[in-house]
Order: sequence, then C-alpha cells, then structure tokens
Amino acid sequence: MNAPRAITRRALLGAAGALVVAVPVVAATGPAAATATGDGPDAEGAVLAPTVFVRVDRRGRVVATVPRPDTGQGVRTMAAVLVAEELAVEVTDVVLEQAPGDTAAFGSQAVANSTSSRLLSGPLRTASATARCLLVAAAAARWGVPAAECAARRGRVEHPRHGSLPYRALVRAAAALDPGTVPVTLTPPERWRLIGRTGAGRADAHDIVTGRARFGAESAPAGGLVAVVARPPWIGALVDAVDDAGALAVPGVVAVVRLAPPGAGQGGVAIVAHSTAAALRGREALRVTWVAGSPAADSRAWLADLEAALPPVAGGTDVRRVYRLPLLAHAPMEPMNATAHVTGSGVTVWAPVQDPGGLRTQLARELALPDTRVRVNPTLAGGGFGRRIESDAVLEALACSRAVGQPVTVRWTREDDTRHDSYRPMSVHRLGATLGPDGVPVRRVHQVVTWPLTVVPPFGNPAVVLASGDHFPYAVPGEVSVTLRPAPLRTGFWRAVYAGQFGYAEECFLSEIAARGGHDQVDLRRRLLPADSRLRRVLDAAAERAGWSRGAGPGRGRGVACHLDYGSAIAVLVTADPAARRVLRVTAAVDVGVPVHPSGVIAQVEGGVLDAVSTVLRAQITVRDGAVVQSSFRDYAWARIGDCPDIEVVLVPSEAPIGGLGELAYPPAAAAVAAALAEGGEPVTGMPYGVAVG
Amino acid sequence: MGRYRLHVNGRRRVVEVPGDTPLLWALRDELGLTGARYGCGVGACGACVSLIDGAAERPCVRTVAESEHARITTIEGLSARGDHPVQRAWLELDVAQCGYCQPGQIMAVVALLAGTPDPDDAQVDAALRDNVCRCGTYTRIRAAVRRAAELARDAR
Repeated sequence: MNAPRAITRRALLGAAGALVVAVPVVAATGPAAATATGDGPDAEGAVLAPTVFVRVDRRGRVVATVPRPDTGQGVRTMAAVLVAEELAVEVTDVVLEQAPGDTAAFGSQAVANSTSSRLLSGPLRTASATARCLLVAAAAARWGVPAAECAARRGRVEHPRHGSLPYRALVRAAAALDPGTVPVTLTPPERWRLIGRTGAGRADAHDIVTGRARFGAESAPAGGLVAVVARPPWIGALVDAVDDAGALAVPGVVAVVRLAPPGAGQGGVAIVAHSTAAALRGREALRVTWVAGSPAADSRAWLADLEAALPPVAGGTDVRRVYRLPLLAHAPMEPMNATAHVTGSGVTVWAPVQDPGGLRTQLARELALPDTRVRVNPTLAGGGFGRRIESDAVLEALACSRAVGQPVTVRWTREDDTRHDSYRPMSVHRLGATLGPDGVPVRRVHQVVTWPLTVVPPFGNPAVVLASGDHFPYAVPGEVSVTLRPAPLRTGFWRAVYAGQFGYAEECFLSEIAARGGHDQVDLRRRLLPADSRLRRVLDAAAERAGWSRGAGPGRGRGVACHLDYGSAIAVLVTADPAARRVLRVTAAVDVGVPVHPSGVIAQVEGGVLDAVSTVLRAQITVRDGAVVQSSFRDYAWARIGDCPDIEVVLVPSEAPIGGLGELAYPPAAAAVAAALAEGGEPVTGMPYGVAVG
Repeated sequence: MGRYRLHVNGRRRVVEVPGDTPLLWALRDELGLTGARYGCGVGACGACVSLIDGAAERPCVRTVAESEHARITTIEGLSARGDHPVQRAWLELDVAQCGYCQPGQIMAVVALLAGTPDPDDAQVDAALRDNVCRCGTYTRIRAAVRRAAELARDAR
C-alpha cells in the first residue's frame, strides 16, 4: 500500500470548528484511463481534479460527502465502510451527505462504467486516514508523547498511560495543524476490521424498510405541483394541435404546457395540477393531434434491416452462428421523474439522476446561467441501469416550472417509462470460428451489426462501440467488425452497454463449439486462459464450488461464461431444467480486488443474474405500428421470485486493486443461462432463448 | 369531489377528492404517506402493496370510495420503530438494493405470515408472484421470509 501523497494546507477547511479534509479524485480522461485506474490519486495518465470531503465535526461526528448518487449499486455503503475503517469508527457511525451536482468540486459524478468504487475508494480512504492522523497528532501533542505511541479506536485516540480522548475534544487542535507536517498512513490490509469483512448492511436500510427513504417524488418541496405528460403515440410524432379545454376544466388542473423537443425533453404536452390524480384525469381529457414520425415502424423490419447489413461471410470459418438480440428497456422500479423550481435567481432540481454534475453543467449551459445559480440535488434512485444518465425528465420539469412559476414534479407513468425509454439497441451477430483438429478454436470472426446510442453521441463511432463491446478474454486470435445502421428510435446506456450483446454472443458460441467438439465447457475455457490469470482462478473456484466435475444429472443442462472488465473478473456456472425452461442454480466466482462491502458485492452479482434470467427467458421490447407494444411489468415480463434460481457467489481473494462491479455479472450470466437452457436441445440463436426476436 | 373518511394506520383521516381517485394517490398526495411507492398504477408490480383489512392489496387499483370502511395499514403504520419481525429480518439479511420495491414486498410478507406462519418456498413464491424487484433481491427475500417467520415465532 503506497503512502498517500502529501495533503497541502489548502486542503483543510476549518468550517465551523470542524476538521475537514478534502482529497483529490482522479478524473478519468476516458474509458481507457478509467479501466486502468487503480487506487486513486497516483494513477498514471490521469488528471488531478476535484475532491471528496470527509469531516469530523465539533461533536466528534464523522461526516462523509458522497460525490456520486446511489441507484441501488451501494456507493453510499461503500463510502461508509471505507471512512469508518480509516477513522476507526463503526460503519453506522458515519453520517452520509449526498453531494449536489458540482463537477468543479467533485469531478465526474456519473454513475457509469462501474467506476465509482475504482475512482472514489482511494480518495475516500486518504481523506479519512488524513483526518485520523491529524487527530492522533493533536492528541500526541496534548500528551507530549510521540504519535506512534497513540492509536485511534472507536472514535477516540488512546495512549497506554494517558488514557483516551474522544475525537470531539481533539477536532479544534487537529484542524490547526499543518497537514504537511503530519505523515499520513493508510490502515494496512492485515489490520482491516471492516473493509472486506464487515457484516454491516446497506446504508439507508432502516429508512428503506420503514418507508421513510426519499426517492425522487418524495424529495419534492412541500406545496409543489405535479405534472404528467401526453407523449407521442408513435415514434417521433410531433404535436400539431392541442385542444386543452377539457383538460383545463378538470378540477385541480392548473396549466397545460407544450414541451418542444429537445430543449424540453422528448416532447409532448404537460398537464400541471395540484395532485397526480388530477393531472392524470387532465391527460385523459386532453386532445392532441400528432404529425410526422414513424407510424408504421415495426421492430421485425428493423431486425431484418440489421441482418441485411451483415458483411459477407468470412472465409475459412468452419462453424458459424447468427444471433439476434432484441430491444431492452431499463424499467427501473421507480419510474422516471424530476422536480424543478425555476425562480428569478436560478433553478433548483431534485431528481433521481445518475450524473448530477453533468446535469448541472448541461443546465447551466442551456439556460445560460452561471453554475452557481443551478442547484442539482440528487435523491436516492429506485434503480438506474443507465437510464438516469439522461436529462429528459429534468428538462420537462424545468419547462413546467418556468411556465407556472412554482416547483413542479413531472411524474412518468409506468407506461410512459416503458414506451419512451432510451432502449438497448437491437443487434445481429455472426460468429465464425476455425477449429483445430481437436475441435478447439484457433481463429474467431465476430461480425456485429447494431445501432449507435443516440443519447450518447460518441457512441456513433464504430470504434467506440467496439471498445465497449469486445472484451473477449480467450487466447483465440481473430477479427471483430462493427457495422452501425441508423437507429430508428432512442437508444442509450443499458447495464454493461455493448458488452451485454457482444459477450452474450461470444460465450454462447464458445459453448456451442465445446459441445460440437465433445469438450466440456469449463475445460475448453481453461485451455484458452493463461494458467495464472484472474479469469482462470475464478473459473476454477466456481467449478469447484458448484461441483462441476460431478456432471449435470439427468434432465439438466449446464452453461458457463466468463467476463473480464472494469478491473474485475467473474465466472458464472448455471444449471437449468431445459424442459421446464427453469434456471435452477447459479454459482458465480468473482474477483473484484478488494470486496469493500461483501454483502453489496454479492448483491450486485445476484442482480446481474436476475437480469440474465429475465432477458434470456422472455423479456423483450417490440414495436408494432410505430409504438412500443409493452406497457408495464405485465407484458415486459421481468423475472418474478418464482423464476429466481439458487444463487451462490464466491468472493475470490485477490491482490488486485478495487475493481468495478455493477455491470460485471450480466453479460456472462446471460450467456451461461442461455447455454444451460440449450444444452441437449436447440442451439442458442438469439435472446430471449427459443423465442421470436423483434 | 367528495369527502371520504379513511381509517389509516389507526387514525381517522378525511380526504376531499373525487370518489374514483385511486387510493394510492390519496395516501401519497393528500395524506403524505409516501412509503407506498408508485411503480405501475395498474396492479402489476406490487410497489404500493399495503394491508387492507389485513390482506395484501394494491392501493393503485382501488378507489377511495371503495376504501371508506376498511382498515388500511401502510408501511409507515407497520411498527413504531421499524422493528416488526419482517422489517428486522429485512435488515438482518441486507435485502435491499435500491429499496424502492421493498415496502411493498414487506407488506405482502406481513400478510402472508399472518395466515401462513411457516410458509415453504412455493408458498412464498406464490404470495410474492406479482411483487417485482427490478434489482434482483429475490434470493434474499426468500431467506428473509424464513427469518421473519422465526422471529415472529420467537416473539409469540
């Protein structure tokens, strides 16, 4: 463990008598830099920018500012564990404050690319260790003893002869020290009490189980108004004429506001009212005439278009398979919503967003306001999965608030959320392989045809799509090509982004090759992975825990897949009952470097497995007559508890730095589930398995 | 517009809304009881599940007028300190990820255990069939139901 870089005196802000330590966060310079970044401030090729804050206040309370929002991925819990470890208190002693959007202070605040642990863990530990060392130095000075004789424990500094002093008695003296004169050491792993060990539950858990947790709509200021939006009935439709007499006659309806895209979101007509029920009645009474757009759009035709754009079959491949993958919606449990208040002096936003800093910058630019007049308060988010990177709901709330001069919460209904998403793109993959005499692949060809991400312009570049998707970890040389067709509807980041599609096709194909050559799925992968590699270790660990060598048993199918990304490695083994289309058991072994909060690490893997079960068994979005067919969880058939297999997650010890996790499990879990369902039956040709796509 | 008397969490409350207003919006917007979450509005997700005369019901598909004479318990009324056996089990097993669906899951389990104190996995799966968790906490929900049953048994 390297000693952290020296903290300058400027890093200490003695606000209100508190000891405050601010430590730079590495701002990643791009996806490559983010992937390479290990433990924070010293990573090569990164730029030093903004900060995380840790504060010990006059009452001795430890307060941490969490720069990134919690969408269920557990960043608040991770912060609490790291801060508690270094400041020698319990996890539940740490008071968490959610940072407002402020990239100047906090750098990127985007919950994206599974970077929060990787980028924040180093600075959080350094800031907390600095505060601890300053408190210890202050106590040592008070007692006139060397700091080395003192130790921080349970919120106090102790000395064998002088007894102990609580932090609150040391805060003022510690804040007056020159941090440049106090050496700072991180707690070494062999002395960790909490990191990788704590049994503490998720931060905010008590508020969650009592209903007190405040998500987006619960965070709106009292007395605000509510709006719902009449949205385009077919893709790309624009408002032609509005008859709002009926809507305005509904008791409780205050205003009808036209929302012009893209400045006011996706476009439509908002009904602003005193209550949600009144707004919904108003929407029913509103008459809108729509024009333009694609009223005949059909996802089956889109799939055919992608397939027609496949490049010619590559020469020299012995086996080939084409995979067709559908549109997927994010469907966070909390539908999209946002609250905004536009006043003469600026704007304030309360919303469950994944990128509060980026949102603030965007709003300041679009509204031509200085940053200081735009306040973005991120709330807890009821899931994100990539959808809440976007600003469309916030733009709608701003337009409504501007029109009525009061705070307005725009609520999306579930139907709105399902039908007006930024979907995971459809894709078609042709896989080909040249096999050696033993049936082991010696060359691979992967031809991908898909759409760009319309809400993320850099993902209009095939090279960026390729970098996102292609993480093939096995020793098989080959070529991967990406052909992008124009996207016919909004597309965006969906958990694991293109790796979810590429990895699924690659791993399903590898399992088919194994079966064809008479190889065991695990053995074939072991042969193609270096003996000392992280993937080989997790694969072996999963196989051992699952008792893989004992065989599948009658009427059972099995599948395997691996994934190496975000600085972490995972192997997933699945047992299914193909005849019943049921997934029975999943064993995953994961190397995330240091599993800071073990329960949270396991939870993220469990979540990826359930996404896999959902999308491989049946969930897909289809489009007919210009509109998304599905409208709720009734027909966007996400997994229910009865679909849930037994899941066991093995945390494999590792010397690697803290890795990312939120998106790691989905791609291999999906492939392993499909391979298990297909074993002994029809090969996998797409997603969901055995269901018409599109 | 009508005046409706509701019996919520042991208190009598009055709301002035049209009688066909979904109970969920009366609870949330009129009474400030926001622990019942909005997830779909069509009874398909279970995020708003609350107890109505002891049974797990969905306030999003039930009107205020229909609810006048019922005893309604929302997550806020389940326990004074968040220490109902089901809540304790949820904390022990660290069930929540985003947490948005969990009040509905918890209330559905409270109703289940009231009639079936020691459910097997098939009974749990049946009772929670239409309670969606988009984060995938189902394995922990199953374990937490077993634990809640134990805690409730110990308390008796």
